[in-house]
Amino acid sequence: MSSAQATAEVINLSEGELDLVNEIRELGGEELLECIQCAKCAAACPMVLAGFPFFNKRVIQAILLGLRETLLDDSSIWACQSCNRCTEVCPRKVNPFEIVQAMRRVAVREFALPTLSIEGIKSLYDTGHAVYLADAWQSREKVGLPKTPPSTVAYPQALKDLQALMRKTALADLGIIPMGEAGVTDTCEV
Amino acid sequence: MKVGFFVGCNTSFNRPDLEQAVRYAYPALGVELDDLEGQSCCPSWGTMPSIDLVGWCVLGARNYTIAEEKGLDMITVCGSCYGSLAESKYKMDTRPEVKARVNELLKEIGKEYKGTSRIRHAVCYLYKEVGPEKIKEALKHKLDGLTIAVQPGCHSLWPSEVYVDKEEDPFHPKVLREMCEALGASAPYYSRLIDCCGMGAMRSTDMEKSFKLVLRKLESMKEEINPDLIVTGCSSCLIQFDTAQEFLRKDRKINFEIPALHYMQLLALCLGADPQQVTGLAKTDVSRVVNRILEG
Repeated sequence: MSSAQATAEVINLSEGELDLVNEIRELGGEELLECIQCAKCAAACPMVLAGFPFFNKRVIQAILLGLRETLLDDSSIWACQSCNRCTEVCPRKVNPFEIVQAMRRVAVREFALPTLSIEGIKSLYDTGHAVYLADAWQSREKVGLPKTPPSTVAYPQALKDLQALMRKTALADLGIIPMGEAGVTDTCEV
Repeated sequence: MKVGFFVGCNTSFNRPDLEQAVRYAYPALGVELDDLEGQSCCPSWGTMPSIDLVGWCVLGARNYTIAEEKGLDMITVCGSCYGSLAESKYKMDTRPEVKARVNELLKEIGKEYKGTSRIRHAVCYLYKEVGPEKIKEALKHKLDGLTIAVQPGCHSLWPSEVYVDKEEDPFHPKVLREMCEALGASAPYYSRLIDCCGMGAMRSTDMEKSFKLVLRKLESMKEEINPDLIVTGCSSCLIQFDTAQEFLRKDRKINFEIPALHYMQLLALCLGADPQQVTGLAKTDVSRVVNRILEG
């Protein structure tokens, strides 16, 4: 439970970064300022049950206080299940899930993302699948299926199209993964 | 009837027996499947959605264009695929500026997102388009006397406004229970029925915390309804229930094992599929429950 103790530390409000609010609103958390901290989202959130220090309500609170480093130093935002119980119950239509996603987008822009996430993104670019197992053909054949699914791994032009699109997105500006034009080679299990 | 099969990463590579189950059960019920050649990852939450809204939507849109060109809706057995594709579509369809930016990028590969195809949940699709009564008539084996703990999966329920297949009340889901009952089983309520299983981003980030959630669910199931089988509506939930129990047993957190299957695997068995082909990759021991089904 050591990570939970992080919340007991004294927070120095004068160190808050007000720019964070604007950045979140630009990156998909448009309704941030509608939040009244009623905590309906927290009452529905699996992260609360599991014991993560920063769940929807607290992520929003920390953003409003400008606590960028506090959020970046903690892995909680990457544990969000994207289950959207919070979106369903929010009485102010804040869409707390989108704000957690926006905070991930802030973190990505500071290279504060988990290794597994980088591997998933690399695998997506290299194969068209965030989860790809190169030796899965064995179990596919065992159950009577063709070696590959009818996806980008079986259709090279489709993979080229996907890579061309990804090179046009914000990902290309961030330099998180190499974005060449290689075919399916790597293995990634997430 | 014909529908596109959006297979998804986990089903393609981790649980192809589930893919095979869909490929058996759908045609057996008179629904033809299309391969949607060249489909990719949905994309899953930890990838493009965590980087950029338009990047998320454009990868979803490329998948939709494959279905649109064939004039088909898509089905999926994966909660993440269902959620990611339904949400990206909702954003593109309700926010013209997002759709315009996506289509600007799609020009690069000569495609256009129109918004004419939809993503459907494989179990809910059968519930609505085929119906429990017709499914009952097609069964070769019935599950009389079998008790099932259902695990619908978060993404089949919330956020309800983005889904074609809605529950009357997403906090009291009925579809999966009724679909299990259509096979002759009982699928009683238990107190943690709608809880998250802990799979996905949570398990990748902190396995101990993820297992706390699945343990709570397992204890609730065992204590309250003592099921013969766990049946999920989501491939990720399937992987969690199928793999976490061994860890929990080694940790002496549980002293039991409940076999776990996706609904499509159970349905395929009841429709006469070869058990090896549609359940052959399960880590939990499903043999006893499979034999019981084949006798039923």
